[in-house]
Amino acid sequence: MKFKLLGLLAILTSLLTACGGGGAYARVIVAGSTSVQPYSEILAEEFVFLNPEITIDVQGGGSSSGIRAASTGTSDIGMSSRALNEDEMDYWVVEIARDGLAIVVNPQNPIHELSFEQLQHVFTGEITNWGEVGGNDARIHLIAREEGSGTRGAFEELVMADGQFITPRAIVQSSNGSVRQLVSSDPNSIGFLSLGLVDDTVRALDLDGVAATAENVISGTYNLFRPFLYISREAPEGATAKFIDFILSPYGKAILAEEGLIP
Amino acid sequence: MSESGLKPQMKYKIETKAVNLHYGSFHALKDVTMGIRDCSITAIIGPSGCGKSSLLRLFNRTNDLIPGVKIGGDILLDGDSIYDKSKDISVIRKRVGMVFQKPNVFPMSIYDNIIIGPKHHGVKNRSKLEEISESCLKQVALWDEVKDILKKSALDLPAGQQQRLCIARALAVEPEVILMDESCSALDPESTMKIEELMANLAQKYSIIIVTHSMEQAVRVSDWSAFMMINEDKIGTLVEYSETTKMFQNPKDQRTEDYITGRFG
Amino acid sequence: MALALSSISALALITIFIIIQGAPIITEVGMFNFIFGMTWAPSQGEFGIFPMIVGSAAVTVGAVLVGVPIGICCAIFLSEFAPVSVRNFFRPAIQLLAGIPSVVYGFWGLLFIVPFIREHLGGPGLSILAASIILGIMILPTIISISEVSLLSLPRQYKEGALALGMTQWQAIRYVQLPAAKSGIVAAIVLGLGRAMGETMAVIMIVGNSVALPQSILDPVRTLTTNIGIEMGYAAGEHRQALFATGIVLFIVIMILNATAQYITRRK
Repeated sequence: MKFKLLGLLAILTSLLTACGGGGAYARVIVAGSTSVQPYSEILAEEFVFLNPEITIDVQGGGSSSGIRAASTGTSDIGMSSRALNEDEMDYWVVEIARDGLAIVVNPQNPIHELSFEQLQHVFTGEITNWGEVGGNDARIHLIAREEGSGTRGAFEELVMADGQFITPRAIVQSSNGSVRQLVSSDPNSIGFLSLGLVDDTVRALDLDGVAATAENVISGTYNLFRPFLYISREAPEGATAKFIDFILSPYGKAILAEEGLIP
Repeated sequence: MSESGLKPQMKYKIETKAVNLHYGSFHALKDVTMGIRDCSITAIIGPSGCGKSSLLRLFNRTNDLIPGVKIGGDILLDGDSIYDKSKDISVIRKRVGMVFQKPNVFPMSIYDNIIIGPKHHGVKNRSKLEEISESCLKQVALWDEVKDILKKSALDLPAGQQQRLCIARALAVEPEVILMDESCSALDPESTMKIEELMANLAQKYSIIIVTHSMEQAVRVSDWSAFMMINEDKIGTLVEYSETTKMFQNPKDQRTEDYITGRFG
Repeated sequence: MALALSSISALALITIFIIIQGAPIITEVGMFNFIFGMTWAPSQGEFGIFPMIVGSAAVTVGAVLVGVPIGICCAIFLSEFAPVSVRNFFRPAIQLLAGIPSVVYGFWGLLFIVPFIREHLGGPGLSILAASIILGIMILPTIISISEVSLLSLPRQYKEGALALGMTQWQAIRYVQLPAAKSGIVAAIVLGLGRAMGETMAVIMIVGNSVALPQSILDPVRTLTTNIGIEMGYAAGEHRQALFATGIVLFIVIMILNATAQYITRRK
């Protein structure tokens, strides 16, 4: 919600400047993954503030439709939160950041590690007691995000196999912040968060022996992450290129890091 | 105030001894001393605002409910003070029942109105309760009229029947004294007549004290009459207390005479 | 007049809008399947809200069990026992309770009630019980003020009559005054039900929002309101329609409750 509001502000600001400026002005359309969308909106807002002559129009629609829009030229940039498949390899692509996903438990929990399979079974509801994975004899309190959230989408995509679903018994919270707050206060809980938002009130679990750290995401050994891609039909020019350069600049990377992504 | 010619050795059901009543700074009753006999009807009469109802309400401690009330002197029931600290107020109210000016049936069925009192004084047996309801309704001559509609709301009855129901309800807890505070003033003449007949019957078993505005009613029903009036300091006092026939034929006090003749024309 | 008309038309517009938005999914899934369906998984095309109907019912009944006895006792205290000075202090204080934003109740519940339940009673703490307690407190102002008014408006003769039969003050209240004030008190309860049923923000924070049928009062549930509140952020397409359809169900239930309350209060 907060992101959307900011995005709206960004659009409003850009409209205002566009009307008032009267000089040369350009419009960049960015469309695609709803997971990337909020970050694009924040970046666009900042970019438009620095470059009032350019309007950035950020839209949703999902990764596939974003790639399609970029391929047909309906949008200048397509956003994707998944790797491109073979049919889509022809386009110009840049990875603006990686979105790591941490599995978090309360710091009092003796468990430091889960196997990938254990993780799946915990979230499908087949494993309900910490004792079954070597912890205390206590019921596992699962905490998930709501349907439609990008983080839940990422979890389902990266962890759950086909036909596996998060059990309906899971507690549902509507923000990373409240998941973290809840995990930090309930010793028997487990949840998932954007990796960048893990702090010392919760503990990120090792997965198959690999620690959930930014370095391991960058090296690719910790594989609970999604690439956030910007796609264009051909190498971008003009305003589009200016926007992408801004994102890849140290300032743009700092903004993404602040929002919890791994640039 | 003297005891108006009553012999001191006679036993009274209720005796008031120099009773004073204050509502906050307002002095409502001054030095009321009188004795009320068992199995008789005593009428308290007098102009509006003379403290008749206040006096009546002292007999079952209804005035206690008013904030700032202060009671001096003493009231005895069968020789025992009812204002004694150790006395259970609900026992006193059970022994001294009260019927109000306006019929105040509870918003529940006729039957429930009757049995609510006995139920809270420990009668749990159903057939016993039914027996009480029948006998009390018969005593007030209401049984034939309501026996088929006992489960209907008492609020649906006409006012006259409601008032008789209130009397029946008061009888159901087996009181010894019944106080009636202008209990006929809201009723039509026919209902009034029925209730007066009822009083005469009840007086064989109970002592009844009524407050009434109506001289005619006092003459018709009461054995004893107490005339009250406010004195020069606007405080209610008992002026004269004697047998009703004596008081109305031959009042001793000039004020009583003025009041009675004024009323009778 | 114009203001009244505009507020009525605004209400009508909202109603029409909700129905237009929500009706397609109900016709598509089927009324029966929508209301009695056990699975809510919009990403898999499953739209059954039965667990949430149960959830709403559970927290609402819980709120009434918590709020009504306390509320009525407060109303009795204020109308029968409290000295004027105490009454003059408590009345505005209770109204103030109604003015506290619901998010504050939710936050308070999350910080105190939820950990207390988790540590002393078990479960995740986010539960029907936690929501019932918070909602029970939130409906107190409604229950207290309406019950108090209906007790105070009783003729004094009821109380005097009961006391004159030798009943104690408590017996008079319990067996004469409360039954006499019944219609007002029932209306208070029904309005409280409506308030509890409609509350969203505080409930989202403490009820857990699981979409499964609860097995005990220590289990988390999702209510109709929290279903809308928690998922509306990202919902699109059928998912969005299904949230509006949830709104239609909620709308109807609350309309019925309020109409019942109106009917009860007008009858006397």
